[in-house]
Amino acid sequence: MSSAWQFYISSVLIYLGVDIMACWGLNLQFGYAGLVNFSFIVFQAAGAYTAAVLTLGRPGPASIQQYLGGAHWPFPLPVLAAGAVGALLAAGVGAIGLRRLRSDYEAMVMLVVSLIATSIATNQTNLVNGANGLDLVPKPLAGVLHVSALSYQWFYVAMTAVVCVLVFLLVTLITGSPLGRSLRAMRENERAAAALGRNVTGLRMLAFVVGGGIAGISGAILVMFISAWSPGSWLYPETFVFFTALIVGGSGNNMGAVVGAVLVPVAFLEATRFLPQFGPPGFIDAVQWIAIGLLALVFLWFWPRGVVPERRRRFPRARSQPAATGGGRLEQNSP
Amino acid sequence: MNLLLPALGFGVVTASILALAGVGFSLQFGVTNILNLAYGSIMTSAAFAALLVSQRGVNLWIAVAAGGAFGAVFSVALNRVVYTPFIRRGTKLFGMIIVTISVALVIQYGIQAIWGASFFSLEGLHASAIQLGPFVFTTTQLGILGIGVGAMIAVHALLRYTTLGKSMRATATNAVLARNCGIATDRVIDIAWAISGGLCGLAGVALVINVTAFTDTTGSDLLVPIIAVAVLGGIGQAYGAMLGALIIGITSEIAAALISPDYKDVVAFVILILVLLVRPKGIFSEIASGKEVAA
Amino acid sequence: MNRTCISLILLGSLVVASGATAIQASASGSGTLTIGEFTPFSGPDGSFGPELAAGCIPATQLINSEGGVLGHHLNCVEEDTRGDPADAVPAANKMIASVSNLIGALGPSSDEALATVPILNQAKVPMFVETGQAAFDHTSDKYFWRITPADDVKGYALALWAHRAGYTRAAAVFGSDVGSQSDVPTLLTAWKRLGGKMVVNQRIALDSSSYETEVEQLVQARPQVIFTEVDPQTGATYFSELQQLHGLIPVIGTEVSLEGPWLRAVTGALGAGPTAKYIEGMQPYAPPSGPAWKVFNKALLKARASVPSPGQWSADPYTMTFYDAVNVIGLAILEAHSTSRSAYNQDVAKITAPGAGKTVVYSFAAGKAALAAGKKIQYIGAGGPIVFNRWHNSTGAFEAAKYVHHRLVLVGSVSAQQIAKLSH
Repeated sequence: MSSAWQFYISSVLIYLGVDIMACWGLNLQFGYAGLVNFSFIVFQAAGAYTAAVLTLGRPGPASIQQYLGGAHWPFPLPVLAAGAVGALLAAGVGAIGLRRLRSDYEAMVMLVVSLIATSIATNQTNLVNGANGLDLVPKPLAGVLHVSALSYQWFYVAMTAVVCVLVFLLVTLITGSPLGRSLRAMRENERAAAALGRNVTGLRMLAFVVGGGIAGISGAILVMFISAWSPGSWLYPETFVFFTALIVGGSGNNMGAVVGAVLVPVAFLEATRFLPQFGPPGFIDAVQWIAIGLLALVFLWFWPRGVVPERRRRFPRARSQPAATGGGRLEQNSP
Repeated sequence: MNLLLPALGFGVVTASILALAGVGFSLQFGVTNILNLAYGSIMTSAAFAALLVSQRGVNLWIAVAAGGAFGAVFSVALNRVVYTPFIRRGTKLFGMIIVTISVALVIQYGIQAIWGASFFSLEGLHASAIQLGPFVFTTTQLGILGIGVGAMIAVHALLRYTTLGKSMRATATNAVLARNCGIATDRVIDIAWAISGGLCGLAGVALVINVTAFTDTTGSDLLVPIIAVAVLGGIGQAYGAMLGALIIGITSEIAAALISPDYKDVVAFVILILVLLVRPKGIFSEIASGKEVAA
Repeated sequence: MNRTCISLILLGSLVVASGATAIQASASGSGTLTIGEFTPFSGPDGSFGPELAAGCIPATQLINSEGGVLGHHLNCVEEDTRGDPADAVPAANKMIASVSNLIGALGPSSDEALATVPILNQAKVPMFVETGQAAFDHTSDKYFWRITPADDVKGYALALWAHRAGYTRAAAVFGSDVGSQSDVPTLLTAWKRLGGKMVVNQRIALDSSSYETEVEQLVQARPQVIFTEVDPQTGATYFSELQQLHGLIPVIGTEVSLEGPWLRAVTGALGAGPTAKYIEGMQPYAPPSGPAWKVFNKALLKARASVPSPGQWSADPYTMTFYDAVNVIGLAILEAHSTSRSAYNQDVAKITAPGAGKTVVYSFAAGKAALAAGKKIQYIGAGGPIVFNRWHNSTGAFEAAKYVHHRLVLVGSVSAQQIAKLSH
């Protein structure tokens, strides 16, 4: 394979890792807890800005960019900090925004949070350098490794994979435990879950905060790779792409989120880059967004549960039955 | 501080565009329960319909009417062809949000694919200024004000004095009960989409008359202020939306005067969030329900 | 089972899509050299793409009609950066990997330059950039070439022009976007150095439904002239409200104010007469006249089939810049006798630099003939002479123009020396 293709494929793999993490985060919020977070991209952005500011160092008076704070933290501290900031921001937004609203009202609040965040980041230029955004973010460990640019790409792929695995462990820790069942119970019937003694507010908040933290980490991995981040990278339609990924892949299960991340932001959006050119300048690019819209519609119509639907959980009626279908040794005892 | 009084006048013009759009949005959301995020894109498409008409050299106000008519027809069609089938198939609240966003993308980028990412103006826009007391308006702005007030009176008359209006109010309050009482709710819903679409179309054309040059994103840029107006007034409350439009129109102009122009849009956003958190039913829900208007 | 089917269908469609790529690659054939139009074609800056394509397409068609370069034809291919770094990085890698016989790039723009210039430079792709960011004023990237002036220079040109007209009280009305805001700091400095007073500096939220309050604030500050760079819709709304409510005052804009979409929007809003009277723009000195421009314009108008309403780009200095860039690529390949990117990159400055005994050429055809005859050439483009400094930047003079009777009319200019004097 030519090195140019290796560059392309490795960068697509890094994006894939970032998108998978983001989809897991959103899936935790939406797929498991039923929270319609239309400002999801804001938490990724917050993580990205955090990681950038914590690696860029303090802005000097002659610096081409202005931002708040600034430090030279060693890798991987900026990534952890990005996760923390994502989680903290989610706690803040969640404390204000997660009320008992109908899901479409909740979607509205979150959509507006996204717009406000974009507006503030653009207009408060001393915060994160306004519309110009932050640039020249140093690549982690690049100074230590002394390898060729191509090897570094593959190193970064591996590092993204490691972070993905860690995030996956975190996510399954929640979804695979009784906590995950409580979340799903709350999603299906909030009142019933509350009546059974589940702390509904706490559960919602937990999913929201952990999802926000994961979004922050994904943003950090992304920004350290592309080295630049600006409000144009996190306009609210980007959140829609993640939702489409969950719909296509199947929400409410982590494999579905992976399939969605593979199919929508990566395969679908990358494949359209390869379409042969026709029509006036810009035509193909408009068609691409039309196609994303149609993709969501088609899936909602034909396969609303996605390619990998959430497993229907069947729980036996009586206590003894799990044993009956369980190991052979116990089978003898069954009536 | 002598900016405040003029800002008040300008706010009224912004408010009349917002009122047209906001009442339409609120009416449709109230009757059908669909949060139609494609609303801004429909406004833009109505503006492009008006552009096609105005390029034939007809009077500007005929183009406005054409935009309104297009909005009505397009909205009814959209509901029949896309939204209703999805609902019948069991798509829930969240799913419908995704459906409407998808539709918005398809419409907006459809316009871009056809017309390109360029800017357009309606023909015959040139206006002169008229001094009214401390306020200065242009003739086209007075025209926009006229459309706004006229449409609001028409909506009022419809809701208040016709059987159709009563049916709409009934459907908005309780669709199942309304159907059981013999109201043809399907027809009512169609008409709600038509009226809302007509207002949406008028608002779209009024908007592009006011901004003078427009592109494929012009309508959707105004979507959040419109939602803010509808929510502020209480979903389904036509009078609430009118008041909401006045409040948001005037406060955003005053914010531009007192704080900074680049935070103008943020004001509408913040008002929306505050209302959603403090009184999700809208600040006028009591007043409005007292007047038994619930279309 | 059913799910597997769906996955298979989806994967199948992906395979078809990549198959289409293969076909595309083979259709362009081994003989065709491709120039990537690496700029936003969608998103908020989606209008950059068509402006750039309007330069690339006519230039390649003209070169192909002259028999191409070293037996190869040229073509242009869109590579949409979507106007943000996150989308532009994979776009850059994809272009480098998948475009067969990629010979060079036009772009990137300011939206994605800092993230993608290093990638293109690393892959040895000569790029003729669109970005005006000052960060590249002293770049050492070998494959970076900038024919357009840096944004920070624009502020000086605007201030000098207003000063010369005798204004002392000015207002700044700039959009809150990247490109517009980057003009402001130098404008403020320059205006102060020239003894002017900036009575109000407005940063404008783009595409609002009205700007009446902002206009009122502006009028109350009583400026004599307005400096501006805003997008077409905002400009049309703002200035028509100024016109209707208080009457216009002179406006000096950047090159944005002289571009087709802006003029169309603003003329539609203000009327042709007032636009001609009050609106001026400063753009890189590229008068729509002269031998090189005539060749450019003829080729542009002929490209009607691929460039919708080509006439709108006739006087656009950026479109001319990209047309020139393609010619420079073609001539540098001929000079180097090689279609290797790293080989011809070394000859880019050689064929544009002035020099004693050089044959001055105004078109690719003339350059090709002169090179074939064994002469040294200096290519002077539709946008004027191109003289790269050691940082591969070429900044020339600025001209002020007005839009009268549907065409741009030159009203004066600011020389490169005057700008240099003010900026030090």
